[in-house]
Amino acid sequence: MGGEGWRGLRLDVRVPLEDHPLEVRLESQARSVAIVGPSGAGKSTVLRVLAGVETRARGEVVVDGVTWLDPGRGMVVPPWERRVGWVPQDVLLFPHLSVRENLAYAGAPPEEVTATADMLQVSGLMERRPRRLSGGERQRVALGRALLSAPRLLLLDEPFSALDRPLRDQLSATVRRVAAQRSIPLVLVSHDEADTRVLADERWHLRGGTLEPL
Amino acid sequence: MARWSQCQRRSRARGRLAPVLAGGLRPHGSGTRPVVSLSSPIRALQEGGARLSALLVVVVVAFGGPSTVRAQSGGDEILVLAAASLTDVLPRVAEAWRQDGGADVRFSFDATSRLAPQAVQGAPADVFFSADDAWMTWLEDRGVVVPGTERRFLGNSLVVVVPRGATAPAGPADLAKVRRLALAGENVPAGRYAREALEATGVWQAVASHVVRGGSVRGALEWVARGEAGAGIVYGTDALAEPRVSTAFTFPEDTHTPVRYPAAVLTSAPHPELARAFIDFAAGPEARAIFEQAGFLVASGPPPPATPPLVASTPDPISAIRISVLVALLATLAGLPVAVGLGWLMARRSFRGKVLLSTIILAPLVMPPVVTGFLLLSVLGSRSPLGRLLAGLGVPVPFTILGAALAALAVGLPLYVLTVRNAFEAVDPHYEELSWTLGVGPRRTFMRVSLPLAVPGIVAGAVLAFARALGEFGATVVLAGNVEGRTRTIALAIYTLLEAPAARRDTWILVGASVAISLAALVGYEALSRRQRRRLEVHDGR
Repeated sequence: MGGEGWRGLRLDVRVPLEDHPLEVRLESQARSVAIVGPSGAGKSTVLRVLAGVETRARGEVVVDGVTWLDPGRGMVVPPWERRVGWVPQDVLLFPHLSVRENLAYAGAPPEEVTATADMLQVSGLMERRPRRLSGGERQRVALGRALLSAPRLLLLDEPFSALDRPLRDQLSATVRRVAAQRSIPLVLVSHDEADTRVLADERWHLRGGTLEPL
Repeated sequence: MARWSQCQRRSRARGRLAPVLAGGLRPHGSGTRPVVSLSSPIRALQEGGARLSALLVVVVVAFGGPSTVRAQSGGDEILVLAAASLTDVLPRVAEAWRQDGGADVRFSFDATSRLAPQAVQGAPADVFFSADDAWMTWLEDRGVVVPGTERRFLGNSLVVVVPRGATAPAGPADLAKVRRLALAGENVPAGRYAREALEATGVWQAVASHVVRGGSVRGALEWVARGEAGAGIVYGTDALAEPRVSTAFTFPEDTHTPVRYPAAVLTSAPHPELARAFIDFAAGPEARAIFEQAGFLVASGPPPPATPPLVASTPDPISAIRISVLVALLATLAGLPVAVGLGWLMARRSFRGKVLLSTIILAPLVMPPVVTGFLLLSVLGSRSPLGRLLAGLGVPVPFTILGAALAALAVGLPLYVLTVRNAFEAVDPHYEELSWTLGVGPRRTFMRVSLPLAVPGIVAGAVLAFARALGEFGATVVLAGNVEGRTRTIALAIYTLLEAPAARRDTWILVGASVAISLAALVGYEALSRRQRRRLEVHDGR
């Protein structure tokens, strides 16, 4: 759990990407970690490793004292048992479900769905299909869906890329508030330093396939 | 040897058609990878599903549904496998027998050489009428006929026919000048008698280079009737039955083995007593009159009684359409879980033997359907262990509607699986990954995400498989035979009707139905493929 006793992240992982191998060594006690770097550096892959969907990853992942990936035994905790709130860059709302159904996908009770929709200002869109939403609306719905899965860890991949400045500041303030209220640790990936300054306690730089503290 | 007499009868023409090749339709290769996808909602999906199931219910009810299947397997009726040259006459004998207190008779007419292997494979037939002694002996050697039941009372003559109005060759020597000489297949009795006669008259070497082979003797006859061949060697009764040909000359009896039709009860007969009674009746005086009227040579017996009424032996087009739709529906529904399972496996999993599995599934797409049918018959025929087991459970496969559905499924499955596989491949795997991270395991993710997103593509695959099943011919005729009212589908009925030009109208009804259903299915497939792409569409402008 991400309560007071947050025991941090430890990653020691190698991923054989097509063009170059990615070596990720990260150890942090911070409740909010940002990874910055140029696009194509493999930032999203780090989040995929944490989410448990990067099957090529080998090495060790320990989150809050629990081993998720073990060098000897492979994947110990499958993605459906990790309870990470993953908001991928491509947002990926389920196209056949309405906003309400997307928000409730992980099984949250209707009151919580309504409350979260209110907080993220999407309650007027509940019956719409994702195709009929703007980019910013979709990002907020995706964030809401992740929050409504009662995550132990929030993974945000360029979460505000589709928003213009005022909305971006507003939403990053919301994320900060919610993460603090519910004490959910988060890992954030962005090519934009400004985003990371607002949200992250600790920042790492991904360059040439390796991570360094910034 | 009995005394043989000859009579004649009015006409009916026959022909045959080369099996129509199955259309090699390629499923839609949809390579679109949705990024952010927002698309047509679950309501459309539900409506679509409801419409489809309503349609299925209507169709199943309208076409008799499972009761039809049941009616096929029971009841006091016998199945007769008979040489193609008996196509016209035997149903009339059967009708006379039925009116005389006999049972209903169903027939599968084909070249003896094609029927005999079916009998050996354990076709659940009662009686076999061979067009020569050689094939009957072949069957005896394999223990397929009941010893002591064999009767020889029917014979025929061998004649040369030419298209009506054409110059008739005066004798065998003139056959060398004919453009094409049509004979039945090499192993077909009529083809063998013809070869004997040509060799005995010393002209085989001269004519061999321009011989063309029909399957059964009726195929050779049709070629002459259509003028495709300048002359043909057929039975005397065939020449009488076909108004578009005239007889040039008859081969003397001493130039070939006498044409005889031995009949016997099969060891696999579900109704051996009825089978024996039918053969006895066919050898009796009442049947003799019918045979003689049709021009057959019959062993002498008591004088013939009054002629029984004629009975048409042409396929019923409505029955054929019903059977076709029922067979195609059975194949499509039974194939659905198979296609979804295999399609998903091929799209999402990598495993040892994937290439092998894929090859096996796709093989019927490129194999001749008759080969597929033959392999199915080898596995499911009532002489194979599996076939015996199924027959013991009361679900025999060969010569049943189940067999027709299985044949249609096997041949349609490649298109089915390919289309479903494409549908799953078009679904971005990131959706599934995302669903996992939301705490939903792989099985429920499949039901909640992968399957709904692929539904239009899956239905498109079903439509394509349905259309292919409707058009199935080669595998069906081998596994399920061509039994009127039981396994005679549209394609088989057309094939049979082409041997009966009197029924042109029925032929066109069936051809029309076939074309209409196929085109409708393709239009449906296109529409569904488009819907599949739309469903996964990346939204407008990011």
